[in-house]
Order: sequence, then structure tokens, then C-alpha cells
Amino acid sequence: MINERFASLQRKTILSVAILISAIALGARLFQMQILNQDLYESKSVNNSIKQIDQNPLRGVFYDRNHKLLVNNVPAYTLRITPTEYDTSLNHMLETVLKLKTGFINDILFQNRNYSKYQPIKIKRGVDFSIIAWIEENSQNLPGIDYIIEMHRGYPGGVNGSHIFGYTREITKRQLEKGSESYKAGDFIGYSGIEKNYDMQLRGQKGKKFILVDSKQKEIGSYNDGSDDQLPVKGNDIILTIDAKTQKIAEEEFKNKRGAVVAVDPKTGEILTFVSSPQYDLDQFSYITSRDFLDSLYNDPEKPLFNRATMSIQSPGSTYKMLVAIAGLDLGVITTSTTFNCNGGYTFGRFFKCHGVHGRINVVEAIEKSCNSFFYQLILKIGLDRWAEYSKRFGFNSKTNIDLDEESSGLIPDSKYYEKVYGSNWPRSILLSLSIGQGEVSVSPVQLAQYTALIANNGKTYSPHLVRGYVDNTGKEFDLKSKQLTVGIDQKVFDIVKKGMYLVVNGSGTATSIRSDDIVIAGKTGTAQNPHGKDHAWFVAFAPFDNPQIALAVIVENVGFGSTYAAPIAKKIIETYLNSKVEKSLDQQKTITQLENTVSEPQREN
Amino acid sequence: MRIDYHLKDKFDFGLLFPVLILFGTGLAAIYSSTYNNPLAQGNFEKQVIWGIAGMILFFVVYSLPSNLFKQSAIPFYLLSLFLLVFVLLIGKTVSGSKSWINFGSLGFQPSEFAKIGTILMLAKFLSRNNTDIESFKDLLLALGIGIMPVALILLEPDLGTVFVFLTMIITLIFWKGISVFAMFVVLSPIFVAISSLFGTFYFIASLVIVVALLFVFRQDFFFSGSIFALNLACGFFTDYVFRALSPHQQNRIQAFIDPMSDPLGSGYNTIQAQVAIGSGGFLGKGFMAGHQTQLQFIPEQWTDFIYCVVGEEFGFIGTIIILILFTYLFLRILKISSSSKDEFLSLVSVGVLTVFFTHFIINIGMVVGVMPVVGLPLPFVSYGGSSLLVSMVMLGIVANIFRTRKNYA
Repeated sequence: MINERFASLQRKTILSVAILISAIALGARLFQMQILNQDLYESKSVNNSIKQIDQNPLRGVFYDRNHKLLVNNVPAYTLRITPTEYDTSLNHMLETVLKLKTGFINDILFQNRNYSKYQPIKIKRGVDFSIIAWIEENSQNLPGIDYIIEMHRGYPGGVNGSHIFGYTREITKRQLEKGSESYKAGDFIGYSGIEKNYDMQLRGQKGKKFILVDSKQKEIGSYNDGSDDQLPVKGNDIILTIDAKTQKIAEEEFKNKRGAVVAVDPKTGEILTFVSSPQYDLDQFSYITSRDFLDSLYNDPEKPLFNRATMSIQSPGSTYKMLVAIAGLDLGVITTSTTFNCNGGYTFGRFFKCHGVHGRINVVEAIEKSCNSFFYQLILKIGLDRWAEYSKRFGFNSKTNIDLDEESSGLIPDSKYYEKVYGSNWPRSILLSLSIGQGEVSVSPVQLAQYTALIANNGKTYSPHLVRGYVDNTGKEFDLKSKQLTVGIDQKVFDIVKKGMYLVVNGSGTATSIRSDDIVIAGKTGTAQNPHGKDHAWFVAFAPFDNPQIALAVIVENVGFGSTYAAPIAKKIIETYLNSKVEKSLDQQKTITQLENTVSEPQREN
Repeated sequence: MRIDYHLKDKFDFGLLFPVLILFGTGLAAIYSSTYNNPLAQGNFEKQVIWGIAGMILFFVVYSLPSNLFKQSAIPFYLLSLFLLVFVLLIGKTVSGSKSWINFGSLGFQPSEFAKIGTILMLAKFLSRNNTDIESFKDLLLALGIGIMPVALILLEPDLGTVFVFLTMIITLIFWKGISVFAMFVVLSPIFVAISSLFGTFYFIASLVIVVALLFVFRQDFFFSGSIFALNLACGFFTDYVFRALSPHQQNRIQAFIDPMSDPLGSGYNTIQAQVAIGSGGFLGKGFMAGHQTQLQFIPEQWTDFIYCVVGEEFGFIGTIIILILFTYLFLRILKISSSSKDEFLSLVSVGVLTVFFTHFIINIGMVVGVMPVVGLPLPFVSYGGSSLLVSMVMLGIVANIFRTRKNYA
């Protein structure tokens, strides 16, 4: 019975069927995987081994208004460490050679401990070529150390321009969290100035490179011979309104001084010169890897990072007298023949001083001599709210919308403001201080430059701006439009006020020291009282008088009277700008004559 | 008795031919997967040498007098047990299992050798004239012969090889002629044990099935109750064994139940293996051109995961040819088993068949994600000297049985 069952045909068949069913089941499974679902597995395989690497585009460069290169990209060496290959016993030597703090490399390695050990970590940017050469020579003894060339900002135009250009930095975690998706960790973004405000224009488009990696994320080679790669697209180049030559002179004038200057073309609102002093060295920013440099700037008592041209607000002093005059003339409160008496001051509750005894004086003379008594009496006729309304028409109390990120709107007090501060019985004598630009009224240099431009160009200008347009990567130029400003005041009013400003420099006014035969400058001095030390010196001016091409506001902090310190700087800037303009037009004429000559030569041969 | 002197009648080319192709394919896959890997330099050359040694062994075993096998059964079996104890004492641990004995630079796995010893011993016992597999005593003895090496291997622990032994023991008892009910008694605890690994629900469900079948067989109440108790105990015992397993083996079993539970850990190999095979498509990515293989997404691919290389680089064509070759080899061995006039040799060849088949089904099953990753090589294809030499010896035994199949009429 047992022998019948042993190795019976039935049992053989059972085993055969078991073998065949198993083989068919496995075959079916393979068919499902390799034929039916191949695409699914193929995409998984590709995701496994193909990695996309972003390629950073070149950042757009900056030109000045004459297409002179001011900010560009320069290659610099960045030293890297690949943790798997690196030997930490080299730490001390490397830190010494690179002038890094002891423990710096360990810290960086620790910070990156969660990333692939095959991924190189950047240790220092802007490494000196001699160190790179040394690393090349000793690469055998320096495992896991290599370098790459990265682009950094360079400033070849001889212009510092720290508060114009601004700087770029690696994006912070916080910015990444709230920012748009187009930014990634490790990206450099504009942090201040034009770099920040025009970041979208400047940054360009990232390229993509596909590489093959093994299971340890180590690069093996390029995928598909790079045929799927996308080249990065360079950012747009920015054309600034700045005149490099004038800017450079202005920066030199402000060396060892605190203050600011904003000069605009009154017809277009284009900012020709923009200085906030002290400046800081933008070159340093290209190479920082630690916060040390930035901290030293933050802690500097001179506050170099603070943009005085847009952020510092001061009393405008006597530069504000034109506004009171314009309001009075436009409202019809006074005419050119209206006179007020000046006996060295004016009594309103108490005696308000003037800095001289001017007798009976009209509006033109009052501006020329900067007579306080005239304006004390005038503002009483205008009243606070009408004065405030005219101030606001000239752009005070609100931002100029200059294309920089930070700006103060200053303060123009009105009756509501005083009621809030002092109650309904606020002392009317406050008005007298306001009439000479003292007291609560406070303005920024860029606001004051805009106001000067409006006067110079008879009530019409464009909002001040630093960027004229951009050039895309095909070389096509685009202009950026600014807002037109009009104050809606009669031409005659401006003629009167400008005559006063003319006499300040060219008559017997407060700034006759800068009078020049070549260029007719009109201006007004001002002194801003301030609780911290000496007065700030203001000077606003435009030139040439007949056809103003430059209008500016200068402030020099804590030096005293305006005409002594601020006016000469203004003169220098005006002269530099207008002379270089003349030179340029002469050059153009020369070229034209040359062209005519070349054209005429063949005629002569005939 | 007629003796045929034709070579065809003495030597079965159908046995060696598929094995040569499998070995050749394996060599190509080993070359491809080790070419760029500094850790596996020289593996290709070593495998060639093992292959030559294997061929020599094959022909030596082929030409031995076949009564030698029966005579050597007891010494081989005892030596196997000795070596299995020995390896537990002084063995080297490789990926969580204490399964290697090293002689200088050469290593060898006693469990591989024990396959031959156990097959011979069990076959010898079952082919005794007075063995009655239906008797409770003889069934227990047969199981005991098989279980002893299994228990020692479980202590290493090498789960894959335990599977191989269990399948081999059951198939030999089956081939001997066990009744359906006795088969049920033997198989049901294994069924319950495996089900219990999947959780309490599966454990209870399997017990319900066992109870239902007990009603079908209509045996007396006491006997049925004992079998049920045995099953219940087996389920709990499995749980105990599972806890006793090394963490990496526990993880592998868990990864089988749900590979996605830990895609970067235990399930990683399974997922990467399937990606490799699936992405191969119909024709494959070409020799030395598989991403998964060349970029080393699967660790030590030249051993247990060699089939992925075939699947990725040679595609469906390659994997199916391997399947067909194995199936052909199995059916060929089965034919020899049933044609052998000697009960002992017939049992031995079925034992060899079962060992090859279990390796095949578990290895390919784990690579395509239908079996747990238990670490069994694919015979003749995977890199490894122990496995290849033992496989060639077993194949030599089957060839020997073919040569002498008519002698014991």
C-alpha cells in the first residue's frame, strides 16, 4: 500500500503542477512589473538617480546715466570641504591659513551634519589666489578640500555708492519662510538699496543641470549628456540716473563729514547724486562668511548703515521760507510790494528774534536776507492749516516714493496735530517757529531736494528716482516711468521766489561766497537747530538759474551755519555736473564735426 | 536488465545545459554589478574559479559508485550536526546570522553542507524496508531527523535556510507516500505559524480554517483536539521565536508585510529591487547600463539580489529565460526521481529538487516583492563559493542517479 503511493504518478503530477504554477506566478508578476508597470518603475528609477541642480545666473550689473559701469560681477574663489573625504586633523592648519577662528570648521561641519556627507560645504568665500595655489600644489595632502569659482559684486566705477547700490546676502531662514517660492536656501538676494528694490529684475533666471548620482548622492556624471539642461538667464542690467563723476566728487566732499546730499534733474526727477555719509565699504560684503563685519557696522556710533538721505528727518530751517512765501503769494495774502517791518525781531506774546534789523522789507528781500520777522508776520496771515496744506502740495509729510526700500515721511504739523499734543488752546506762537522752518516741522534731504526741484522747474517735476531703466539680456533697453508731480501754482509766484533765491547767491544774501561767473546758482541756506551738539547746515540750490538742470539739497550735520559748510559742497556738485555736461556736449559736437568731415572728404576728392 | 552504452543514456545533458546558461548569466550579472564597486573587486574572477571547481566536483560526484551515497548518509548527517553546533560556538556573524566558519580567507556555511547530510539521512531512513510513514512513531522519527538541523539553523538564526529545510522535509515525506490527513497534521502547524506572523487576526483565521478541516477529516474527538492544541501552541511558539530573532531579521519580516513602512530602512532593498526589475522593461537597459545596478542602489547586489541585475539590464526577456531554465531543470530532476528504480536515490533527487526549488521561489519571490527578504542565494546565478559548490555536488548526485537509474531494478 505504501509502495503504491511512493513516487506515484499522482504525486509526480502534483509536484510538476506546483513547479509550473510557481513559475507561471513569478512570470506573471514579472510581466506585471516589467511590461505593464514599466513606466512607473522607470520614473522611480529616474528620480532615484537623477538629480536636478540649480545653476545661478549672473546678476544684472549697474550702469550710470552715461552707461559707465558701476557695479559688475567678478569671479572669486570659494573654498569647500567634502565631509566624507575630509580629515578633521587638518582643521587647525586650515583655520590658520584662512584666518578663521579656532573651531570655525567644526562648527560649520556640525551645522551641516544632517546633509549628505558627500555634499561639499562652503567654508570661505573670496579666498586669496595664493592660498588657492597652495591648495592646488598640496592637494595630495589635503583630502576633501577643493574650491569653486563664484561670482561676487565688484565696483569698478570708482563710486562707493553704498546707500544707492546696497548689498546682497545669503537669504535668511525667516525670509525663506515668508518669501515667494522662487527663492531657495543658499540664494543671494538684495538686502538693501537698488539690489533689494530691483531684486526681481537683477536676479535673472536660474538654470537647471541634471546629473547622475549614486545611492549615496555622489555625483557620477551628467545625465543624457546634458541635453535636458537649461542655461541660466542673466538678470537685467540696471541703468541708474546717477552721474558717476558728480557722485564721486560728492562722496569725496563728504569724507569725514556726516550728512547727506540729494541732487536731481528738476525736469525729470532723475537723481544725479545721492550720498549719505558716512558710507560703508560694499566690497567687504562680497566676501563675508561671518556676521562680524555686519555687527561692527551695526554697532558703529556713526551709524554708517543708516541712510541719512531718505531716513534722517530734520527741521529744514530757513530753506523752508520759500514755501511760506509761495503760500502767501499764491493765496494773495501778499504781493511783491507788500512789506513787513523788521526791527530785529517780532513780538508775539514774547519777542521772536531775527538775525538782523531789516526795516521795511518785501518778500524778495526777505528771502535774500533770510529775514525772520517778515515770515513771522506772513505766516500769521496764512494760518497753520493753509501752511500745512501748501507743505503737503510740495510733497512733505509723505514719502517721495524714491525707489529705495526705506524712507521717512517726515512731519508737517497741522491744527489737528497740535490739538492732539497740546489740547485746543495750543499756543499760536508755535506758528512763528514753523515759518522759519523750526519746531515740529521735519523733512528728509530727499524731500527737500524734491521741493527745490519743484521750485526750480516752476511747480512741475517727477518723483525722485535712481533707476532710469533696464537692459534685458537681448540688449533691449526699457525705460521705467515715474510719477509726475504738479503743484498747481502760478508761474509768477515761482518767478518771485526764484528771484529771491538768485539774490541769496548773487545779491547781498547769505551765500554770496559761492557766487560764480560761469554758472549762475540760485539757492537758500538753512540752519537746523538740534538738541545734539551744533546746528546742522542746510543748503538748497538749483542751477543754471535760467534753465535749471540740477536741483539739490545738502545737509552737513553738527557743523553750524549753512553757507559756511553746506553751500560750498553744493557749488562743487553743481559745477562738476554742469561742466561734465558741457564737456559731453562738446564731445558730441566734435564727433558730429568729425562725422561731417568724413562725409565731406570724398566730396573734396571730387 | 539491458545496459545501454550510449553516452546519451549515461549522461543527461538536459541537466547540465540549463545550469551552464544560468551560471553564465550569473557571471555577466556579477561582472556588471561589481565592475564599478571597489568593495567587490575580484568577485567576478573568484566566481569563475568557483565555477571551474564546481564543474570538477560535479564530475567527481557523477562518477562515484551510487551505493556510496547511502553508506555516507549517517557520517554526513552527524558531521552536519557537529558543524552546525560548531558554528554556533565559534562562527562568524555576517549580517546578523552566525552562519560562517572561516578557514583563513576562505569561509564556508555548515548549513549548506547540512543540506546534503540531511537529504541523505532522511532518504535513508524513509527508504528503509520497515519504515511506515503512516505510523506515528516513524513520522515523528522522520520529522525528528529533519528538525534537528533546522533547530540548530534557527539558532544562528538563518530563516531562509530554515524554510529550505522545512520544505525539503515535507516534500520527502510527501514523496514517500504520506496520506492526506497525515500531511494535514504536519502542514497545519506551519500554516498557522506563518499566519500568526501577520498578526492576531490572521492567527485566529488560520485556526478557524484548521478547525473546519478537522471536521472534514472526521477523526475522533480526542485526536482532533490534540491537533488543534498543537496548532495553537505552534502559533504562540512562533511569536516567541519571532521575538527571539535578531532585529534585522524581524525588520525583514516586517518589511515583507509592509515594505513601505520603512522605505529607507528594511523595506529599502525590496523597493529598490522592484524598481530595478520593473524599470528594465521588455528588453532591459542593456549590459552594464542599468541605473539601479551601476549606481549601487542595492547593497551587495551580486549575492542575493543578482536577479535584479538580470531584470534591469536584460529585461523581461532575461528574467523569463531564467524562469524557463529553472523550470526545465526542476522538471528534468523530477523525471529522474520518478524514473529511478531505487527508492533511496529517488528520495535523494527529490530532496535536491526541493532545495533548488525553494531557493528559486524564495529568492525570485523576494526580489519581485512577493516573499520576505530572508537572504537566500539564487542557485548557480548568485555570487558565492559555498552555495555554488554545494549546488554542483547536489547536481552531480542527480546526474549520478540518472547514470545508475536502471541498476537497481
